[in-house]
Amino acid sequence: MTQPSPVRRRVDPRAERAARTILTGQRPRLLPQPVAVAVNGRRRDPRALRAAALVQIQPRPRYDWARDAASAGATAAVGIGVAATPAIPLQVIAEPAYLILAMLDRPGGEVSEHDRQVIAAARLLADAGGGAVVTVSTGSGDALAEAGSDRHVALPDGWADDYVPERRAAAASALMAALSPRHILFPDSPDGGDVARRVAAAAGERLFAGVQSLGPDRATRQSAGGSLEAGHRPTRLMTVAVDAFPPLDGVRHEARPLDLAAPVMAGEELPPRLGGARRLAVDPDALSLSETDFILSAGNGVTDWQSFAELGEALGATRAGSRVVCDAGHLPRERQVGASGMVVSARCYLAFGIAGAPQHLQGITGVRHVIAVNTDLHAEMIKRADLSIVADAQAVMPALIRLIRERRHA
Amino acid sequence: MLDVAVLLSIGRHPVSGRARRAATDAQALEMALALRPRRLTAIHAGPPTDGEALRAYLGMGLERLTHLVLSEGADPVEPLIAHLRQFDPSLVLTGRQAEDGEGSGMLPYLIARGLDAAVVPDVVRIGPADAPNSIPGAADLVQALPRGQRRALTATGRFVATIHPSAPPARASAYGPARRGVIEPVAAQATADLFLSDCEHRPWRPKPKLMRVKRGGSALDRLKAATESKSGKGQLLVNPTAEAGALAIYDSLVEQGMLP
Ligand SMILES: Cc1cc2nc3c(=O)[nH]c(=O)nc-3n(C[C@H](O)[C@H](O)[C@H](O)COP(=O)(O)OP(=O)(O)OC[C@H]3O[C@@H](n4cnc5c(N)ncnc54)[C@H](O)[C@@H]3O)c2cc1C
Repeated sequence: MTQPSPVRRRVDPRAERAARTILTGQRPRLLPQPVAVAVNGRRRDPRALRAAALVQIQPRPRYDWARDAASAGATAAVGIGVAATPAIPLQVIAEPAYLILAMLDRPGGEVSEHDRQVIAAARLLADAGGGAVVTVSTGSGDALAEAGSDRHVALPDGWADDYVPERRAAAASALMAALSPRHILFPDSPDGGDVARRVAAAAGERLFAGVQSLGPDRATRQSAGGSLEAGHRPTRLMTVAVDAFPPLDGVRHEARPLDLAAPVMAGEELPPRLGGARRLAVDPDALSLSETDFILSAGNGVTDWQSFAELGEALGATRAGSRVVCDAGHLPRERQVGASGMVVSARCYLAFGIAGAPQHLQGITGVRHVIAVNTDLHAEMIKRADLSIVADAQAVMPALIRLIRERRHA
Repeated sequence: MLDVAVLLSIGRHPVSGRARRAATDAQALEMALALRPRRLTAIHAGPPTDGEALRAYLGMGLERLTHLVLSEGADPVEPLIAHLRQFDPSLVLTGRQAEDGEGSGMLPYLIARGLDAAVVPDVVRIGPADAPNSIPGAADLVQALPRGQRRALTATGRFVATIHPSAPPARASAYGPARRGVIEPVAAQATADLFLSDCEHRPWRPKPKLMRVKRGGSALDRLKAATESKSGKGQLLVNPTAEAGALAIYDSLVEQGMLP
């Protein structure tokens, strides 16, 4: 950019006009004025602003006027939702006044939604007086920084898979003695709640189970079968009910490994009285649709019910269907997915010949991974799916059965 | 399984609030009856007013039931431990959580501590160990896990098991046996539960459901997250051969961990 001169050159309209005049020919002609020769900084260009604010053209234009016009050119090309994210400032609690322990489940190594809620509850207690949240789980603490953990104690990796609740409880008791935290929170899940009760029984302390609301001087829980609310000062040991606290968002803490004087695993002296734990194979069709993790679903596009049944068996998936299928009697009524059937929360949903009516899609909003097979490229189900195959269900089903059997024998 | 004790509490109907047999306690009694133990001890600890609702348990085929009579607001743990010590049962069955009162689910753990026994939560099946090399007295258990999964394990020595709601359903209670059965009141000494009287109680008011709305981003993003149904990553294969389609599905399932 050139430096703008303090005195602008005067426009001489006569000279400009003379420059554009062509005198050859019968009479003088004037060339058209070049567009936007002089760029005036003070002048708005409404068209350019409009083009920069356009974030979506299909199905109808949408404008985002809050965006910075300068950066708009770049983001508009990429699409929606790339608004520049400001870096979240790191919150450091160097000298904590006290510690709040959060004992997490981390089923299968993932930080579950419930685990995040427990950390959020722990932050409520910690932030009230300059305390720090110490998370305890298998695996590293990196994934927990954005959930709100200040310090992390990693349990040995081998503990993630085997079921020895007595060992976890012993580790929690050892940490309780070593760190003397002000509060210890557990998720009120089958495993977390079990460990919490073991710790409470061993320590002879009162457990405040299933906390629904929490503050530095008052915690509440449901009692008498959910008909009463019991309130008390927060006790040392508490379990946090599921979906009672929103997980934290937009925070970043250190999640730095805590150095302990002695390793946590001091609890190996007594031999565990429970042993030989192993998962049992369960019949997928005996599970209710709301419980199962993997659903094979059929719609009106399926006519080969023999293959469908065989495929369900080969995959080990629970069979389900759309309303049309259940109305026709191909599957029992309790196997219907959708608004008037079951709302499912499976991890994987494999749909053959389902159009994806709104009533059906309502039933699968909680599903993480959807695979659809349909002959119609424009079916709603194809839009919803993570993997869509436009093909005949009657051809893909036997091919898939063959492939699974081949791979199993290979 | 020679000697089984069942702990029975008074339940509370979730809608009408009337006293009834507690659902998982009745399932625990069902499991105890199905085990055909040499001796079955059924115990209830609570105030003397509890009598009528206990008859529903007797109607399931139980001949006698011990009622440890406590004063209102007393802690039942100590009297129960003292009473169980006299019988020295090899297995104690309880429900998962009381339907009335504090309902913290701590009682099985405290009893186990008092009896120096192991605790196994969420049991759906109990049988004698059938592996050839197992220790005598060991029991095979099946535990219910979330999402309908099951886990088998063995327990050695004495243990306390809490019953999961997906255990075999309790049989219906018949009127005749319920009248004929005997409730034996036993006076017991108990200390008052100070923690519970320290809590303030008020009627539970349902809270608004927690919505998972993503914060941050533009108003447009938040609106989209709240209103639009999730759409997938959208990998699309148009008219592949059946084999190619099947292979794509297979790979995707393996990636999701649904197939080995
Ligand atoms: C009040 C109300 C409540 C409802 N509740 C529910 C509910 O809970 N659950 C529910 O499912 N429905 C419900 N419905 C019905 C819903 O509106 C749809 O009618 C229904 O979901 C359609 O089922 P479908 O996709 O199996 O059949 P169709 O709409 O007939 O779609 C069949 C699909 O299969 C495809 N196809 C055809 N042949 C093949 C082939 N050879 N290979 C592959 N694909 C093929 C077609 O392209 C089409 O997309 C409800 C309706 C109402 C009015």
